[in-house]
Amino acid sequence: MLGIIVEKEIRDLLGSTKFAITFAACAVLVLLAFYVGAARHNLHQARYEASQTENLRSMKGISDWQELDEIRIFLPPQPLESLVSGVSNDINRTAIVRGRGDIPTEDSRYNEDPVFAIFRFIDLEFIFKVVLSLFAILLGYDAISGEKERGTLRLSFANSLPRRTYIAGKLIGAFLGLTVSLMVTIALGILILPLMGIVLSGQEWIKLILVIITGLLYFGVFLTLSIFISSLTYRSANSFLISLAVWVMCIYIIPGVSVLMAARSVEVPSSDEIAYKKSTLGIQLAEEFDEGMNHFAVKGSADPEELMSQLNSYIDSLNDVRDMKMQSLSSRLNEDRSNRRQTQENLAFNLARISPATSLSLATSHLAGTSLTLKNRFADQSREYQRAFGEFMLEKTGMNTGGMIKLRTSKSCGGGDDKEDEEPQPINTEELPKPMMSSFTFAESVNPALTDIAILIIYNFVFFAGAFIAFLRYDLR
Amino acid sequence: MTKDLIDNTLPALEATNLTKKYEDGVLALDKVSFSVNRGEIFVMLGGNGAGKTTAINIFLNFIEPTSGEAKINGIVSHREPLRAKQHIAFVSENVMLYPNFTALQNLDFFARLGGKQDLTRDELQAVLLRVGLQEEVHHKRLKGFSKGMRQKCGIAIAIVKDASAILLDEPTSGLDPKAGRDFVELLKTLRDENKAILMSTHDIFRAREIADTVAIMDRGKIIMQQAAGELAGKDLENLYMQYMAGSNNHTTNTTGGVNAGHNS
Repeated sequence: MLGIIVEKEIRDLLGSTKFAITFAACAVLVLLAFYVGAARHNLHQARYEASQTENLRSMKGISDWQELDEIRIFLPPQPLESLVSGVSNDINRTAIVRGRGDIPTEDSRYNEDPVFAIFRFIDLEFIFKVVLSLFAILLGYDAISGEKERGTLRLSFANSLPRRTYIAGKLIGAFLGLTVSLMVTIALGILILPLMGIVLSGQEWIKLILVIITGLLYFGVFLTLSIFISSLTYRSANSFLISLAVWVMCIYIIPGVSVLMAARSVEVPSSDEIAYKKSTLGIQLAEEFDEGMNHFAVKGSADPEELMSQLNSYIDSLNDVRDMKMQSLSSRLNEDRSNRRQTQENLAFNLARISPATSLSLATSHLAGTSLTLKNRFADQSREYQRAFGEFMLEKTGMNTGGMIKLRTSKSCGGGDDKEDEEPQPINTEELPKPMMSSFTFAESVNPALTDIAILIIYNFVFFAGAFIAFLRYDLR
Repeated sequence: MTKDLIDNTLPALEATNLTKKYEDGVLALDKVSFSVNRGEIFVMLGGNGAGKTTAINIFLNFIEPTSGEAKINGIVSHREPLRAKQHIAFVSENVMLYPNFTALQNLDFFARLGGKQDLTRDELQAVLLRVGLQEEVHHKRLKGFSKGMRQKCGIAIAIVKDASAILLDEPTSGLDPKAGRDFVELLKTLRDENKAILMSTHDIFRAREIADTVAIMDRGKIIMQQAAGELAGKDLENLYMQYMAGSNNHTTNTTGGVNAGHNS
């Protein structure tokens, strides 16, 4: 009996004009998401390579390492970013690294393409979150109430048909019919990636499959939810309106309100406040530096080279002190801000998880490596590079860059002994330490996503059970 | 589920002191008793809210009686609904069926639901032809079907189950005269096949034409029940109006209101 209901449900769904129209629209959007994602990744890859080339080109002609004040490092694009953009378009992707001090960043993608900041990119996560959830509701809202209106519910139950068999058949049939047809479309979309030259590693393939499974679970949540609502109502129009209202709440209202509530509950000092405090200390430290410079005294011979070396060492020691004090304040302020921000984010996420849309966004962005941690990771990697760069410059020039004053000596020119009558040799940029911009490991991507995947599974069970129980009490008349 | 053997000595349909009182106090059925034997058409006549559909809903176990019993081949419908429903087929008013399915697909689905899983396409088409649906529409979706054609599909669904009792709830409402006539002829052939038929209707003329027994219902009670033989030579419309007028004069409403708000 279950098989008969499942089969009927699948045939009824797939044969409906409503399905044909909505599915065609969804299929086009899914394929478009893959195509646009692949094209965008290629574009971002080209831009990334161009930025690196430009960075090296800007160092051309430099013959003294001391002239190299700063170096730019770039966050490389990842293939899955274009399918689940997360924060990857919002964060700055270029870090300007000096040997010491803060690391300013710039060049977010929305900075490059500001029009997308208004309309946002359409990616696979958006298709799942907005389009496919609406698709699920459109096809599920009249699952029970529609049968009642058509009189087929009475006709079906004039037979020896247990209610639990009927509702289970409905849920299974609808889920199978819709997810299998969606999976076919998604599989076609995946084919676009290699066709457009996107190469995914084995782990990236697994992550992509997990993203799709998460999306289908999310789709299942809205499908079971709409069938649940249909089991509570006796008119399709009412079921549709309630489902639509719940959908709007889940997609737009709950996440937004949760962030607002979290922001009101936990205050995080703004970057301007922190910058002001740092600037105040910076002025004070600059005065101390000037004061310190007044106490410089030459030791031993007055050989100019020796004098320069002593002065640079003295400046470096003053810079170290200044840096230490600034670091101390910075790390205190940053730690406080980071802790508060973490509390605020956790609160916002936990509140927003009432909506399955939040779980979808969090899980898929973790899997694609575009969650909020991407920004912190880039900052950490930039700091790591700063240390390597600082040590490199110290070795090359005898002092670290990024201080207040830098006196140029002739020692570091051309990467070797300088002779006045010889043509200065350009620096060899190959010697520069290479930034280690590793992407998230498999465990780093998957582990944080598991909670939200589990939440989506639970939502599926809850709404499945809700529809099941509601239908057992449904008035069949 | 294996089908029970039928005890032919029992009435196919039997209501004994069937009473339904809703939670809001409305008395939809008040100790209604009747029986329908095989080869008999029992017609329940009455206005809206008389209790006709409530009685049918109890036989189908869509609602439980407050007291009394509705039996199908001796099986109490609310105690063993799945067993009882093996022996009944149902035709409702305004059957919509599945508009995306063809007539044949609709019939196939409901036939399998009714336990007839091995019927061939030819056998199914024969049933559709029997109810007057020509072959050219068998493969057409029900979207474009008229009410009369859909109703014929509904009858086909009832016939294909080959149940011993058929319940019909206002089956002729909205049918054009030709479709109504075809429908009556079909019911007569079903009676000749020894089916027990319980039909609710507002249509006095159809009731007169086909009923073996007519029961006039008002406010949950059978206020008149006569066999076709007893009705011979009587004007059923006049009789109906007289009984309704009498019922209005004499029936006291124990609940303070008629049973509007519930299915009759």
